[in-house]
Amino acid sequence: MAEIIFDGVTKIFGDDIRAVDDLSLAIAEGEFMVFVGPSGCGKTTALRMLAGLEDITSGSLSIGGRIVNNVLPKHRDVAMVFQNYALYPHMSVERNIGFALKIRGDSKDEIKRKVDEAATILHLNDFLDRRPKALSGGQRQRVAMGRAIVRNPQAFLMDEPLSNLDAKLRVEMRLEIARIQRLLGVATVYVTHDQVEAMTMGDRVAVMREGKLQQVDTPQDLYDRPANEFVAGFMGSPPMNLIRCHASAGNDRVAVHFGHQVIELPWNYTSSHALPESGLEVVVGVRPEDVLIVDGASTNTLETRVERREALGAEILVHLSLLDTTTSSTSDGELSRPVSLVAKMGPRTKVSVGDILYVQLSPEHAHFFDATNGDSLRTRP
Amino acid sequence: MSVITATTKQNAGPWMTLRRRRQFAGFLFTLPALALVIGFIGIPIGQAIYYSFTSWNGLTSQWIGPSTWSQAFHNSNLWTALQNNALLLLSVPFALGLPLCIAVLLHQRVAGWKVFRSIYFMPTAISWVVLGLVAERFFAYQGTLNSIIHFFGFSHTNTNMLGYESTALSALGITFVFTMIGTNTMLFLTGLATLDPTLEEAARIDGAGRWRIFRSITLPHLSRFIQLAFVMTVIALFSALFSLIFVMTGGGPGYATTTMEFLIYQTGFNQGDFGTAALYGIILFVLTAIVGIVQLRLIGSDE
Amino acid sequence: MTTLATPPQESEREEAPPAPPSQARRHVGRWILFGMMLCVAVIMLYPFWVMIITSLKSETQFLSGGGFSWLSWKTLTDNIPIFQEVLSSTIVCSASIFVILCVGLPAGFAFSKLRFRASTTIFLGLVSAMMVPLQAILMPEFVNVTKLGLTGGYFGAILVYAALGTPFSTFLFTTYFRGVPDELIEAGIVDGLGYVGVLGRLVVPIAVPAIATVTVLQFIQIWDDLLVGLLFIQNTSERPITVGLAVLAAGRTTSIPALMAGSLVSALPAMLVYLGFQRYLVKGLTMGIDR
Repeated sequence: MAEIIFDGVTKIFGDDIRAVDDLSLAIAEGEFMVFVGPSGCGKTTALRMLAGLEDITSGSLSIGGRIVNNVLPKHRDVAMVFQNYALYPHMSVERNIGFALKIRGDSKDEIKRKVDEAATILHLNDFLDRRPKALSGGQRQRVAMGRAIVRNPQAFLMDEPLSNLDAKLRVEMRLEIARIQRLLGVATVYVTHDQVEAMTMGDRVAVMREGKLQQVDTPQDLYDRPANEFVAGFMGSPPMNLIRCHASAGNDRVAVHFGHQVIELPWNYTSSHALPESGLEVVVGVRPEDVLIVDGASTNTLETRVERREALGAEILVHLSLLDTTTSSTSDGELSRPVSLVAKMGPRTKVSVGDILYVQLSPEHAHFFDATNGDSLRTRP
Repeated sequence: MSVITATTKQNAGPWMTLRRRRQFAGFLFTLPALALVIGFIGIPIGQAIYYSFTSWNGLTSQWIGPSTWSQAFHNSNLWTALQNNALLLLSVPFALGLPLCIAVLLHQRVAGWKVFRSIYFMPTAISWVVLGLVAERFFAYQGTLNSIIHFFGFSHTNTNMLGYESTALSALGITFVFTMIGTNTMLFLTGLATLDPTLEEAARIDGAGRWRIFRSITLPHLSRFIQLAFVMTVIALFSALFSLIFVMTGGGPGYATTTMEFLIYQTGFNQGDFGTAALYGIILFVLTAIVGIVQLRLIGSDE
Repeated sequence: MTTLATPPQESEREEAPPAPPSQARRHVGRWILFGMMLCVAVIMLYPFWVMIITSLKSETQFLSGGGFSWLSWKTLTDNIPIFQEVLSSTIVCSASIFVILCVGLPAGFAFSKLRFRASTTIFLGLVSAMMVPLQAILMPEFVNVTKLGLTGGYFGAILVYAALGTPFSTFLFTTYFRGVPDELIEAGIVDGLGYVGVLGRLVVPIAVPAIATVTVLQFIQIWDDLLVGLLFIQNTSERPITVGLAVLAAGRTTSIPALMAGSLVSALPAMLVYLGFQRYLVKGLTMGIDR
């Protein structure tokens, strides 16, 4: 068990495709770290460099204080779980799990004992004689896990291990993997494109995009204090409403202009952000659960019309369009399309398409981002 | 950009990176195959070209130059052999058409078609040496062919196809068609099996008749398989008839059944003229290379 | 007529309920098809019939046309050294296939999973060698192998067969391994294998179907071949069976019933291999086109 440190790690494919760009990140002993991002963001490449399946173009990578840039995979003492499990088709479950130990040269009794132990943890004892072909998807996934945990390695590397399972099984295995990881306390790097997995499993989550690390934080901090517009939009489902607008601070209030409509937010709520005095274009972000319906118009409400209504059972998603923004034009004509918002409401809220609603943006949960580079304007946590 | 290269070099570490190791292993793994093929196929091609310009008896060679080629092209045997090869090409349509019919027949899945399939493929396993011996029995004066002719009432007609210059090549061609039936049927049957049956159903609903379906759906689908079978058949025709000729006719009567490949063997081993045989080899090589390029295109077209 | 028509009607009903109006017509059609297939079967079985019938005659019976005798089978070993020749064929066949597998498997693995600089070019070069007929390079090949002193035993023939079989086998293995997920190899590497270990402990076991295909194809090819055995095995006591038969036939002094008995014996192993592993044969023939 050991600390894993990425220090300025860069991977360039071909001449100029930067798959991973200057990644610096430390993963503590026993920590469950999730790499998340859209496909092609470099998360898998980062994992493969850690596994020793890809060379590191520049920077250094260390496991347990040892720089492993040029260490062969077999000498890194890491175990990997692959997306398609990569079980050896010609071996029984027992031999699959024990294969790495056999290569390492453990004695037969030793292998048997360790395989049994792993099988018990994974509830695989009844399947040890089967071939992978004769197993269900969930069982194969367990065997892949077994192959990793039996080695008691310095780190587990998991590359989208749940993406081939159906939805129900995925939820089950999510908990299972988290349980086993806590049980064994081995540092784990888990790659996924699914932000729900990232939120529910990770001790910390590293969000990546186009090879660059966007933010590393605990799931809750990522959710509450996204470092930029991308992270804000990526984490959370349905995603945060991100609306371009003009904001100007002054007189204890911040005036936010959505075309012709203006809302005023009390200064004390928004003082955590560095908002400009004069009108500057910003992106305001509000999570759907922070869009509140109020009874009548006031200085901090927006007039909207219900465009669509999605009943999900436990909640209703209401798609709203801001009235009066279609014809409005800001200085640079940004608001040419109607601005829309998604609001999450209680299951018994009575709304129907065409209703005119007055909504309030919960001021203490509003996020402001720089409209040009997307960075958060937050100044204090 | 220059900064990037600088840091890259600085951090490159030892020469044997993971990628280089993989590539090195890959190269080493291909070496035995490469050595074998270069040693036993590549180098001899070069030698054959060189020796085609020499007078060579297998032990000593003497450089002659391009005149060996002009001399060779004045040799009537070469032209006879080329002509024989060209005439044998006439059998290719039969070597493709009959298997196509048989494959379509099998594809109807009449009761017991699997047994029939096994029977049809069985001659494929037999050596062409043996098939040649059997064919000799078939065409012989006391053979099956004459029995059939007699059976149909022409009791005074007797053939001896292998015995006459005018008919020996036809007998060889017929035997060749027979030997190719199994392989080509196998190819076409595989092709038919990959045909999506819903296509035929859709066509039937559209009112297409059997023949129409065959022409507009089945044949186009089979075209890749037919192309492959064509190339394989032509290559076999150029380079696999040796066993048949050796057993059935020995190239005769006269030079009536001497094809290029048999001419090479005769020139080299019966006449001891290794130089000219090597030259003929180059001609055969060029002929098959032309067909081979077509096949490489075929195989490579989906890579 | 009705009794004749009944059985297929029943069997047909099992598969699919026939459409009433065209039932009778379809019936006739089926019988015609069956008849045609039977005719083709007779033609395809003809060689076996000739071999069996002819071998069951003595030489005089063969010349006169009638009769039945076990004589040619009883005296088979006097006419043809059949045991020794089958043994030779077996040795040459298995050794050649062994060499082909030993060089083809690593090469196929490398071309598909361990791509290196110019590997595509080298692959194409190697594969195009399958278009080179032996006859085209026969003279230099013969002289080279003779000069190396390899025509004395089996070695020359084995190496020539191996070289001729390697390009196609490598192509087949490469195509096969392209269908094997990269992760399987990577899993082995992370589990602690080197590339040689991956080859021996993962690639070879996974490639069993492809190995079977190559083995069957090459077995039939080599077992049935004449030219290489004829030229590259000089000692008559080491002749393979096809060479033995062909030389006897070309000499035209041996009794034909004996020759047919020998032919039948020589055809048997290839037939058995063929009938046992038919599907591998089909797979190999259509490799690269059938996806």
